[in-house]
Amino acid sequence: MSHFLDRLKFLSRVKSTFSDGHGAVVDEDRKWENGYRSRWQHDKIVRSTHGVNCTGSCSWKVYVKNGLITWETQQTDYPRTRPDLPNHEPRGCPRGASYSWYVYSAQRVKYPMIRSSLIDMWREARRTLDPIAAWASISQDPEKSRRYKRERGQGGFVRADWDTATEIIAAANAFTIDKFGPDRIIGFSPIPAMSMVSYAAGARYLSLLGGVCLSFYDWYCDLPPASPQTWGEQTDVPESADWYNATYLMVWGSNVPMTRTPDAHFYTEVRYKGTKTVAVSSDFGEMVKFGDIWLAPRQGTDAALAMAMGHVVLKEFHHGGKSDYFRDYAKQYTDMPMLVLLREHGDCLVPDHFLRASHLAGNHGEANNPEWKTLEIDATTGDLVVPNGTIGFRWGEGKVDDGAKVGRWNLEQKDGGSGREVDPLLSLIDCRDEVAGVGFPYFGGEHDELLVRNVPVKRIALADGGSALVTTVYDLQLANYGVDRGLGGGNVAASFDDDVPYTPAWQEKHTTVKRELVIQVAREFAQNAHDTHGKSMVIVGAALNHWYHMDMTYRGIINLLMMCGCVGQSGGGWAHYVGQEKLRPQFGWAPLAFATDWSRPPRQMNGTSFFYAHTSQWRHEKLHVDDILAPTADRGRYGKLSLIDLNAKSERMGWLPSAPQLRTNPLQVTAAAEAAGQDPVAYAAAQLKAGTLAMSCDDPDDPANFPRNMFVWRSNILGSSGKGHEYFLKYLLGTQNALFCDESDTVHPSEVTYREQAAEGKLDLLTVLDFRMSTTCLYGDIVLPTATWYEKDDLNTSDMHPFIHPLSEAVQPLWESKTDWEIYKLLAKQFSEIGGPYLGTRKDLVLTPLLHDTPGELGQPLEPRDWKHGECDLIPGKTAPNMTVVERDYRDIHRKFTSVGPLLDKLGNGGKGINWDTRHEVRELAGLTRAVTEPGISEGRPRLDSAIDAAEMILTFAPETNGHVSVKAWEALGRITGRDHTHLAVGREHDKIRFRDVQAQPRKIISAPTWSGLESEEVSYNAGYTNVHELIPWRTLTGRQQFYQDHRWMLDFGEGSCVYKPAIDTRSVAPMLGRHGNGEHELVLNWITPHQKWGIHSTYSDNLRMLTLSRGGPHVWISETDAAQAGIRDNDWIEVFNLNGTLTARVVVSQRVPPGMCLMYHAQEKIVNVPGAETSGKRGGIHNSVTRAVLKPTHMIGGYAQQAYGFNYYGTVGSNRDEFVVLRKMKKVKWLEAPRDAAREG
Amino acid sequence: MSLYRILSALLSYPEQDLLDARDEIAAALAAHPAACDTLRPLTDFLAAHRLIALQENYVATFDRNPAHSLHLFEHIHGESRDRGQAMVDLLAEYQRHGVEPDVAELPDHVPLFLEFLGLIDEDEAEALLDDAIHVLAAIGRRLARNESPYAAVFQVLRTLTRVEPRDQTDPPIRDMDEALETFGPGADGVEPLLKPQPGGTHTVHFHPRGQYANAR
Repeated sequence: MSHFLDRLKFLSRVKSTFSDGHGAVVDEDRKWENGYRSRWQHDKIVRSTHGVNCTGSCSWKVYVKNGLITWETQQTDYPRTRPDLPNHEPRGCPRGASYSWYVYSAQRVKYPMIRSSLIDMWREARRTLDPIAAWASISQDPEKSRRYKRERGQGGFVRADWDTATEIIAAANAFTIDKFGPDRIIGFSPIPAMSMVSYAAGARYLSLLGGVCLSFYDWYCDLPPASPQTWGEQTDVPESADWYNATYLMVWGSNVPMTRTPDAHFYTEVRYKGTKTVAVSSDFGEMVKFGDIWLAPRQGTDAALAMAMGHVVLKEFHHGGKSDYFRDYAKQYTDMPMLVLLREHGDCLVPDHFLRASHLAGNHGEANNPEWKTLEIDATTGDLVVPNGTIGFRWGEGKVDDGAKVGRWNLEQKDGGSGREVDPLLSLIDCRDEVAGVGFPYFGGEHDELLVRNVPVKRIALADGGSALVTTVYDLQLANYGVDRGLGGGNVAASFDDDVPYTPAWQEKHTTVKRELVIQVAREFAQNAHDTHGKSMVIVGAALNHWYHMDMTYRGIINLLMMCGCVGQSGGGWAHYVGQEKLRPQFGWAPLAFATDWSRPPRQMNGTSFFYAHTSQWRHEKLHVDDILAPTADRGRYGKLSLIDLNAKSERMGWLPSAPQLRTNPLQVTAAAEAAGQDPVAYAAAQLKAGTLAMSCDDPDDPANFPRNMFVWRSNILGSSGKGHEYFLKYLLGTQNALFCDESDTVHPSEVTYREQAAEGKLDLLTVLDFRMSTTCLYGDIVLPTATWYEKDDLNTSDMHPFIHPLSEAVQPLWESKTDWEIYKLLAKQFSEIGGPYLGTRKDLVLTPLLHDTPGELGQPLEPRDWKHGECDLIPGKTAPNMTVVERDYRDIHRKFTSVGPLLDKLGNGGKGINWDTRHEVRELAGLTRAVTEPGISEGRPRLDSAIDAAEMILTFAPETNGHVSVKAWEALGRITGRDHTHLAVGREHDKIRFRDVQAQPRKIISAPTWSGLESEEVSYNAGYTNVHELIPWRTLTGRQQFYQDHRWMLDFGEGSCVYKPAIDTRSVAPMLGRHGNGEHELVLNWITPHQKWGIHSTYSDNLRMLTLSRGGPHVWISETDAAQAGIRDNDWIEVFNLNGTLTARVVVSQRVPPGMCLMYHAQEKIVNVPGAETSGKRGGIHNSVTRAVLKPTHMIGGYAQQAYGFNYYGTVGSNRDEFVVLRKMKKVKWLEAPRDAAREG
Repeated sequence: MSLYRILSALLSYPEQDLLDARDEIAAALAAHPAACDTLRPLTDFLAAHRLIALQENYVATFDRNPAHSLHLFEHIHGESRDRGQAMVDLLAEYQRHGVEPDVAELPDHVPLFLEFLGLIDEDEAEALLDDAIHVLAAIGRRLARNESPYAAVFQVLRTLTRVEPRDQTDPPIRDMDEALETFGPGADGVEPLLKPQPGGTHTVHFHPRGQYANAR
């Protein structure tokens, strides 16, 4: 008898002694304690926060008793703000307060889980095969792989032990690297700031392998491309405390009280100070209640409203000369004085490129980068000058003229050639050679598509002996906005009541907002900015940014702020709060996350283009490039190209990144090159040119180009932000889906290969790490249980406040969960043992695009040229992606993972175009975390064993948390700007913020040049502050904030200047109308998916408390008018569908919603109360079941100053609000509760 | 062999060792003929399927279905803050008897609790079961309704106590309006859904006291 039953499985006898017998456990009566034992008794309080993507970063006290979490309360010990400013606390919202229960929730993933069909085949294969052969035998066998792929999302999990789970993953990774290439291993995890060590753990593992991290900010459509376009800055915004400094505050499409709950008090408090507030929202959002004025434009027309406000300001304050402050600001800090070439187009001229020094004789004296230096006219002398600060001065001045012009990349108003003071001329109106008709594209529909307006121009001589007409950006803007300057001609408005784009009267037709209100708000906004020197602020949000033409709305608003001199001023400017969480110690974190301490460069990919290609959304594209081209574009340049063709073009020209990169395994490319005795880079370039080597983007459905392994952690991509959810299911995962589109009437590509047979089930292995059984987990092959936010040590930061905040391990990870750091560390170990001997040392060829903030951003001046079409030679890093050979010893992955590598000593550290020596910090860290003593490649290097070690690495290397580093960083920047900025940090030079410090109290960061604002005793953090006050150029072509965008594609798609563009037609409703009739009235409504009150931001909404407070399951809001029309009553079950898929929900009928739109809050998951859909016969989907991503060509631009790629900085975005749906009442609600097999047969 | 220990083993995640111990379990059950009969659907089920199928069933039954959760306080406190304190009290009860959890499980995990009952004096075990039976019976009823063979374990537990299980309402109170009207915000101002606990002595309780006090 084995005494199975005698063994204690769960319990053990308490030891009677401890501490080597010095302590003893006694069982005496302790009833005496009861007298004062109380509800609020606890053993310890631990500071932690919720690593959720709400930007809250709120401090919480977690109470622990006997190793169990009992409750949490808000922490109220933030450092005080300066006198005269309200404090930050209390932070934390009711949703955060309902979190502690989740730690013990039945929804938790408690053990590693594996799909049973997979583990069954694995165990069978492992009887005879080693792990790698076992993986190959399953994943490469079509029948076997189909068996587990088609069960994704269909249940059938069993528990597994860590060893088996990580063995499978490591074997799959090793096999994939060898067979297809490391770039077929993909990772998706969003928003590092919410738990940056956890993010870094996975990213470090992937980067060491040569795998790919996908960006998220662009994919979530939270990235505002207008920001990089205008400022060369991803996103930089004021902290919420700076709202209190505003004296006129517009809240535009951002539901501050709901989505920024812990910060909303500043919005309330500033009203007591007398600040006027204006709310702009199409529905009656919560923030509307705070507004003195409510403007309610029809959804998606906000650009028209912004343009009309701009018209009022330009006419009265600029043309009317009412503000010297505005004029001086425009001269120094915007591109308004810069000259623009005018090109002939039919009967008129159209704006073209900025005039460059290279256009002029002798490059106008500029030996370095003349094609990247723009010009203005000095009002004093009338001379053409190349002013300081344009991007040409940023790079390479040291290499010519003995460095005479080093240090001229600044905003001093000087001639960059001679160094003398200049007074930039804003308008040519008083010194014009003539007045010319200039055409401006118009997309509104009800006027001509090209509006010709008179503009003052000058003729200048060009280098080639010819001449050209030029004008200034200022003159172009006044014409673009339709301001009548007395120059004659049409399409300008003498009165605000004229129906001419872009007057207040004109906007009324598009937005339905009364013109008087627009005029009033514009005047008040500008007058306040004039009186206070810029304290007018606009808070903007997702309601604006999630549209296909979001850049137009954003640029419209940014233009307004720039023309009123608000950007970079305390209490003023652009406050975009959409999904971004500011990773404050970014450049201490980057080497940890992307393992750039061991090898460079890492592989990174823009998420949107990746998902568009690999979930085959491109096969269903209905938007023609022709639909969106401007009338001024040379249509021949685009021929029959489709959006995916343009994306592939962008990839091969080195604009956007690629993943997978080459059709051939990059390890084989380098091996073949070496066998041929050639340099791998030259070899690959030659093969690409010859067409014998292909880029993966040219044929996404070729199995050689599939992504094969994917990790998802800290994310619920399939339950939340996977635009085109059903496309994911069908093509990437190869499982049950409700996609209706049969590819008829879709745009076929002309260059990218279209295969009749679409690829399905591209991924061999989907690994999901989560603490809750999310929708994404349901689709995973392997689900690994992670620690919750109260079970791990990590760091968290936000753009809403200036503090660094910890997550702390209040209790050890429950059940079998482990922290992300420990999981990836374990994987690194398994991989080194399994994959190491198998792969050995390999050379990888890594492709990277032309990156922003590197000399590569000066890659392709003026006209874009495609090497594949023979328009130029293929030069890696110039006309094509950079190529770098990276050697990887796959046996050392674990050693490298757990130590800080030597490249930080050799190459230093830095970011955003500056670099500093960091050898001192390497030694400092080795003193803190101890050096590795085990022999091998990591011996003597600083140890990264625990998550706290990793946190210390971030804090030690980041200028924001290490005063010495900050001073070094400011010095490094000063060498380029020629100005001394160190005074911004010397006061805190000896400040060092360490992990235990932030556990004791959140600490305020140190000002660093990697951001454009300051943390000081004088001002709250606000973006652009150092540009204005330290004269540091914006990282754009002109070095100024740009009203004008001159890339050829920007001009061709009609976005040289800001214009109004209505929503695009996604053509996804008409083919579905009436096709699945159930007798109920079918409504066609615009589909809006904002953030909700009853979910933990977009992270989860299966919290019972939240469900209790809302409708207890998925729900969609519609207007009373639409409901009446369709005979729908509140709480009815409805189905919402279009070509992309379908979902089921209850309906909320509310006055709050205007007719014509419906709202479904983000991230209501499939796992709670979702019945079957009548149209598909399958379970209803999620809010993204009816969406599909559509790419925008202007977001693919690269190699062009501010329009150069950066991870999460620029690239295509996953917009989703132009979509329409059919909404109708359901006849029968079926719960599909029969067992899976029966359901299948039925 | 205590019946509790057998029930604990049968209700645990099936691994090979459980299948290997079939004879041992059968022998031990011989001393409890009534229980043996009641448990037959489960023992037959365990004998009839491959381990992987048993595991898949277990995960689908208990890990993926909160209504069947094997954590006692999930059914009593749900998401309430009181859950933490309840577990602390239960843990103290274990420690008072000289044992403590040795695995990565919570104190209110049913197989763990049953193993504990098997270790202590029978009268004491019955007293604890008297208190817990309301929840256990509710889980059993749901399992039976869903035709799970695991319902048998709970049926046996019903026979080990003289207490008649009360109907278990699903916590927490779902109607927010009603909760606010009935209770108002708690003394701490933040707990409208939950009846505040009286201060003073805490003992292990497997049912929400306030609710039943009000009901009577």
